[in-house]
Amino acid sequence: VNWWQRLVRKHQLERQADEELRGHLERLVSDHMAAGMSEGEARREARLEFGGLEQMKEACRDAGGLGWIDDVTQDVRYSVRTLRATPIVTAVAVLSLALGIGANTAIFSLINSLELRALPVKDPTRLALITDGATGNRFWSYAVWDQVRQRPQLFNGAVAWSFTRFNLASGGETQFVDGLWASGSFFDTLGVLALLGRNFSDADDRRGARPVTVISYSFWQRRFGGAGDAIGRTLALDNVPFTIIGVTPQDFFGADVGRTFDVVVPIGDEPLVRGRETWLDRRIFSWLTIMARLKPGQMLDAATSGLRGAQSQIREATLPENLPQQALHRYLREGFTLLPAAGNSRLRRQYERPLLTVMVVVALVLLIACANIANVLLTRAIARRHELSMRLALGASRWRLVRQLLTESAVLAGTGAAFGLLIASWGSRLLVRQLSTQTNTVFLDLSIDWRVLAFAIGVTVGTALLFGTIPALRASGVAPMNALKAHGRGTAGDARVALASGLVVAQLALSVVLVVAAGLLVRTLVSLETRDLGFQPDRVLLVDVDAQHATEDPVQRIPLYERTREVVRALPGVAEAAVSLTTPLSGLALGNRIEVSAGTPLPEAQRVTSENVVSPGWFRTFGTPIITGRDFTEHDGRDTPPVAIVNQAFARRFLNGASPLGHTVKIVLPPTLGPPAEIVGLAADAVYGSLRDPVPPTMYRPLAQQYEGSPAFTLPNASLSVRSNSGSPLRLIRSVSTAINAVHSGLALTFLPLADQVNASLIPERVVAILSGFFGALALLLAGLGLYGITAYAVSRRRTDIGIRMALGAERATVVRLVLSRVSVLVGLGVTVGAGLSWWASQFVASLLYGVEARDPLMLVGVAGILAAVGAFAGWLPAWRASRIDPAVVLRCE
Amino acid sequence: MNAPKSDLPQGTLDLLVLQVVAHGPIHGYAIAQRIQQISRDVLQVQQGSLYPALHRMENRGLLAATWKASETGREAKFYRLTPKGRAHLKEETANWARLSEAIRLILRTAEGGAL
Repeated sequence: VNWWQRLVRKHQLERQADEELRGHLERLVSDHMAAGMSEGEARREARLEFGGLEQMKEACRDAGGLGWIDDVTQDVRYSVRTLRATPIVTAVAVLSLALGIGANTAIFSLINSLELRALPVKDPTRLALITDGATGNRFWSYAVWDQVRQRPQLFNGAVAWSFTRFNLASGGETQFVDGLWASGSFFDTLGVLALLGRNFSDADDRRGARPVTVISYSFWQRRFGGAGDAIGRTLALDNVPFTIIGVTPQDFFGADVGRTFDVVVPIGDEPLVRGRETWLDRRIFSWLTIMARLKPGQMLDAATSGLRGAQSQIREATLPENLPQQALHRYLREGFTLLPAAGNSRLRRQYERPLLTVMVVVALVLLIACANIANVLLTRAIARRHELSMRLALGASRWRLVRQLLTESAVLAGTGAAFGLLIASWGSRLLVRQLSTQTNTVFLDLSIDWRVLAFAIGVTVGTALLFGTIPALRASGVAPMNALKAHGRGTAGDARVALASGLVVAQLALSVVLVVAAGLLVRTLVSLETRDLGFQPDRVLLVDVDAQHATEDPVQRIPLYERTREVVRALPGVAEAAVSLTTPLSGLALGNRIEVSAGTPLPEAQRVTSENVVSPGWFRTFGTPIITGRDFTEHDGRDTPPVAIVNQAFARRFLNGASPLGHTVKIVLPPTLGPPAEIVGLAADAVYGSLRDPVPPTMYRPLAQQYEGSPAFTLPNASLSVRSNSGSPLRLIRSVSTAINAVHSGLALTFLPLADQVNASLIPERVVAILSGFFGALALLLAGLGLYGITAYAVSRRRTDIGIRMALGAERATVVRLVLSRVSVLVGLGVTVGAGLSWWASQFVASLLYGVEARDPLMLVGVAGILAAVGAFAGWLPAWRASRIDPAVVLRCE
Repeated sequence: MNAPKSDLPQGTLDLLVLQVVAHGPIHGYAIAQRIQQISRDVLQVQQGSLYPALHRMENRGLLAATWKASETGREAKFYRLTPKGRAHLKEETANWARLSEAIRLILRTAEGGAL
């Protein structure tokens, strides 16, 4: 019989013990009667010999190992009864704990899956990424992968992959799935077995092999409803039929934390999709991530030097075509470096700091909640002093009382944690959903693992001890004598009031820190959202036009784009339309190294400019003014001299702010054919790649004047931007889609309002601002509640005092002042300490801020004002109550 | 019954109980009787401490118990020794023998010294 059975079969066991002892007693009685006693005498004698039945049962229970269970059950029952006696106070305590523990667990589970959780593959700690040591570059051309693959002696296997999107639709509006190009070694080396069918291998990863694909568990469920006959079916990806040969296990999301895939396709099938423009033969494209599995016992450094041994061979065999001399030298010199694969994701780099900031914020909120509950328990303990001292007087040990009071805390914390876990699993999923955009799905494995569980339990126990220990020790420190005295009066509670006041000051100080942080982060978001973009996003619809399957010949695509622009411009409701290779904040950045005639001498690293290739009407569509010179026209073509328009930042950097008109620009890198272009216009500055960065020097060139080597010939798609006459540009989707379909039914279209694209670029800032704002407000609320509680308590303790003063002629206003002055002392202390703390802590958020100083004095003044308002609010009700005290009633009570 | 009785030395009750139970399944009342019989009514077993001791040893796995009809026809809880209990008894008996031998020696030497 183990303890668990004992707990479950408790009643049966107790009945048996009772029966056993009674049986003994009965035998004793009958033995005595056999010896000649009367029944009464026999019973008396037996009882004397045997002792008290109940005590003995108790002793047996203890001996049988059930005693502690009884004690705990009793304590828990009693605690629940006590807590239910004050439902509102209990509900507020549980709710604030649930929010606190829930928020902490949610953020921790994000950090866990982003930084701590191992990849869902075999032996993930032995995996390493191949990178360029100095530049941090981690993408490689297919040629480099081919070289690594041919050197199996270096590692215990290596894999390469690249993220992509495949279009399931055969024309018209796109229907994208997340795809992965992966080497044939991908599944074997990572040690991932197929859940259904088989995974592909090196034999499938050849040019000209039968096109096959392995799909993810979630795609299998979504698309095929988990049907077993999905294996062998055909799936059209970018119009190419692939045969499904396998399904991966549910927990496998790829080898990159933060992303996931729907379909995996061998790299060797890439030419089937990209056709003549295959990247396999283009050494200038770095697009593959290469990961190696270290040999048993091999250290990272040893593996790196092994790879460096093959460095010059690999580099020389993979020189990118058409690179200028200097760039070639740099390519040859750059040393391969291996980095541990764990915790090296892009998502981590992007979100690590914001997440840690939020983690600190929620930890502080939890601390504030703890202080609140500690105060509630303290005041409650004072109210229960009589009861507790009575129990001491009746022989309870002090430890027993402490245990009882700590059980109450544990019940509170446990209930809070149970709700908190619900909040956490809901909140963390909600948060991850917020991070995804139309073009970039963020995926994190948020299932609860032992780390999250240990964290939640640790936080729960920690909070229970934090808010429970001091009140329990204090409360059990009553003298038994107090039970005999009349209770409730005297000044014995003043030390507790001081302690509680200290806690409230700490709460106020912490909430100042949080409100300041929230203010800074919200103002950062507002500065970014209201930043002058240099273009007007509101009425613009972006249409990504993918011509990959419409025409094989890149030269044919530009006329195709121009035709789509013509038909869309003619549609009713369309004010203007223009084609460009990229759009602001799209994530696609084009850039050149250039030389400007008669320009300022600059070091090579600074002779770079951002670039966009645009059709006429682009500046009108985006609402970016041309300051001097002219816009591109339909006359700028292959047979007229090349022209360019630059922005003000360009003129500042390359020409010291002088007018750029008449200067010429020669593109040095990437190597482009074609003569230098004459600058014919100066455009206003407009945001290009990021809202946080200053506007970069930008050069615009006409779509019609593109030459071999231009990105126009390598990108399979372009963006058609459509400005509506009025109202939401979304209403244009149907007519635009029909019109473009009429031009060529093979064009794949993706629609996105420009305003959404701008908003999507602010997701991290928005998430952090919303979270810190919410928790800042919560902190204020909790601190306000704490302040109210301690003030109300102080007033109730000083009823007599106040009543006597009023009897002696004090005005009601004086009483209100008396109470409020106490509140203002607490608030004043809290704000002072909090201001100092925020001053110190501001250094940690400085890097997250934009358009606001980390130590903005106005911000502190504002927050002090808010705290004063909260203080007035929290103090007003107790003050009003104090002023309503009837001196006659108080004096009669005395 | 009027002979002077000694209290049981600390910790020896367990040993006596194990020794009694070693002879075969037996219920609590009979254990108490047997201990008093064997020790010829010299030792007073506090009946109050017998059952907690039985339950403790059952909990520790030294004793196992089953309910069955006793000689009077009533259901009673019969205790028997587990292998673990038997080993424990052996060990404790050896300890006890060593200890009592040591005490006997000390007492004898003390008497000798007094002479």
